[in-house]
Amino acid sequence: MDVPHQILSFFPFPILNTLAISVLSFIFGLALGFPLALLKAYMKRLGYLVDVYEKIFRGIPEPVLILLFYLGMTFYLPFPFSNPYFTVIFALTLRSAANQSQIFRGAIRGIGEEQMAAARSVGFSKLSSIRHIIIPQVFTYAASGLANEYALLVKDSAYAFAIGIIEITKQAELLRSYPPYDIVTPYIIAALLYILLTFPIATYFDAWGSKRKKKLGL
Amino acid sequence: MGSVMECKHLWKTYEKHLVAVKDVSMSIGKGEIKLIFGPSGSGKSTFLRCMAMLTPVDEGDIYLTDECLTAKGVNLNAARARIGFVFQHIYLFRHLTALGNVELALRYVQKLPKNQARERALEALREVKMEEWSHHYPSQLSGGQQQRVGIARALAHDPRIMLLDEPTSALDPELTAEVIDTLRDLAKEGVTMLIVSHEMPFAREVAHEMIFYDQGAIVETGPPEHFFNHPNSERAKKFMTRLIKRTERE
Amino acid sequence: MFEFLGPYLPTIADGLVLTLEVTVFGLFAGLGLGTLLALGDIYGGRVTSSVIRVYVEFFRGSPLIIQLILAQYAVPALLPLRYPPLVTAFTVFALNSAAYQKGYIKGALQTVAQDQMDAGLSVGMSGKQTLWHVILPQAFRIVIPAWTNEFCSLTKSTSALGFVGFMDLTGAGRSIVGSEYIVLPAWIIIAAIYLAWITAFTKIADIVYEKKKIPGLEISPV
Repeated sequence: MDVPHQILSFFPFPILNTLAISVLSFIFGLALGFPLALLKAYMKRLGYLVDVYEKIFRGIPEPVLILLFYLGMTFYLPFPFSNPYFTVIFALTLRSAANQSQIFRGAIRGIGEEQMAAARSVGFSKLSSIRHIIIPQVFTYAASGLANEYALLVKDSAYAFAIGIIEITKQAELLRSYPPYDIVTPYIIAALLYILLTFPIATYFDAWGSKRKKKLGL
Repeated sequence: MGSVMECKHLWKTYEKHLVAVKDVSMSIGKGEIKLIFGPSGSGKSTFLRCMAMLTPVDEGDIYLTDECLTAKGVNLNAARARIGFVFQHIYLFRHLTALGNVELALRYVQKLPKNQARERALEALREVKMEEWSHHYPSQLSGGQQQRVGIARALAHDPRIMLLDEPTSALDPELTAEVIDTLRDLAKEGVTMLIVSHEMPFAREVAHEMIFYDQGAIVETGPPEHFFNHPNSERAKKFMTRLIKRTERE
Repeated sequence: MFEFLGPYLPTIADGLVLTLEVTVFGLFAGLGLGTLLALGDIYGGRVTSSVIRVYVEFFRGSPLIIQLILAQYAVPALLPLRYPPLVTAFTVFALNSAAYQKGYIKGALQTVAQDQMDAGLSVGMSGKQTLWHVILPQAFRIVIPAWTNEFCSLTKSTSALGFVGFMDLTGAGRSIVGSEYIVLPAWIIIAAIYLAWITAFTKIADIVYEKKKIPGLEISPV
């Protein structure tokens, strides 16, 4: 079975692309989503805006967002939207931030209002309480949701194939014209690669979260 | 035979070393009320569940009016339909009203037509004084009310015997009385009952025989007076003293 | 801005219809299949559970596009059957949705199961009767929020159809090429349609749920 081996040799660069897109979107999504969650949780008036943001970016399919920015905005803002990497990460970040905002809100709710009340009662300001009490605990509660979100991003990165990035899906397509001209094998390998990228990490984070929860007696 | 229910040399072990039922044999006749009591974790509930054929026994035989339930090829569902079981944690069907809870088995097990099932169900609810609440959902009822519906549900299909597993243990103290009253009414009507319980005043009043159960086995049996005045075994003595001390404090 | 879209509106409308058809089919077929998978996982024994686990991992771990492409090409290669491509697409969405729905159906069943099973048995019902009359009715009410969530997810994921040659809403969008006066407004409209549909459905689902819920079977926020 030399063929799969040969086919696999084409994939390292595409895998890198997939990972780059997913991981960067995840990180930026976190950077945007977590503050949004805090905003909604602790500043009630601005919370409405967060709701609207979430509704919008959770209500539009990912590929539509990507194409909207790539095909639509290129005319008006060729820089930076004509760069496919930028556009796809931009679109994924916006959506991921909406998801993560929800995840972190759930986590904050899971921590419980009493923790915040307790912190305030010993004199911490809102900001300090968040910094010292909420943030250390929040990842334990958010772990499984975040694991899920990461897996989602890896899968959605596949849509980048439509705007010219050679990631896993695009590579599989290109291999159609490469011996043995088999349509199915490259895609099966692609599917397995995706599963490999999502399953172990997602399971690990989930397990980490459960273990920490147990340790903290939750 | 004459007995309503009988068991011979029952054994039930959990996880290799936890023997919940150790060679237990006993029988109960029509109209008799027997109360099983003893320290927690002694296996009383397991024993009762075995009798109800809810938990399979490892060894031994169980008879329900001459029919051997532990024989091969016995229709367990039909057998369970002739036994009324009341759970410690009640276990009402949450998606049905009180009436629905009582009716369900009447319609699908006893296969009664709709209006007959309804009639019978209402009758059962009347017996436990819950008829007014027939259209309430379990979550809208107090614990005591829920348990009364549970008793109605068990009674409705006219069982030969009622098995009750600590019917009041999960209830707040104020709610126990209504359930005890219901059981007292049933006792007056001559319903055959095998009860696992700690309600000593109730036991004294109503039980024909009390069974002290400890570490998987029947240690001692006798009429209530026997236990309250001069139990024989050391363990029973210790248990009764602790119990009496506790009731004195309250 | 949207004046030039006139001639394209029929395509967009047709696309919406296909999107809705696939969504509804996938959702209900996924519910039925997902329930079977959940039951199989709980009551089926080790081999069944492992098979189900592989199935679920595959459909949840790989992108929908790849599933669609594989289905279109792999199925004719492996089986001597010829289906119209649309049938394959519908099937893939059903299988995909089932993989996700199995997860929360199983959770609901397990939450309900043990004590209610005992209660059902105690009045003489068989295991199957208890499952049908007691456990499933409760489980289905518990999964409603997750199910409406799945509806939204599914609607969005049908977008993949537009990348494998089908003319769903997204496919309609991709077919609209030309100047920026057409492309951007087209995508904005399409995005807006998805958004409106999902928001409306969520609202309606909430209202229906409020009306139909059974006190005591409310769901804790997921």
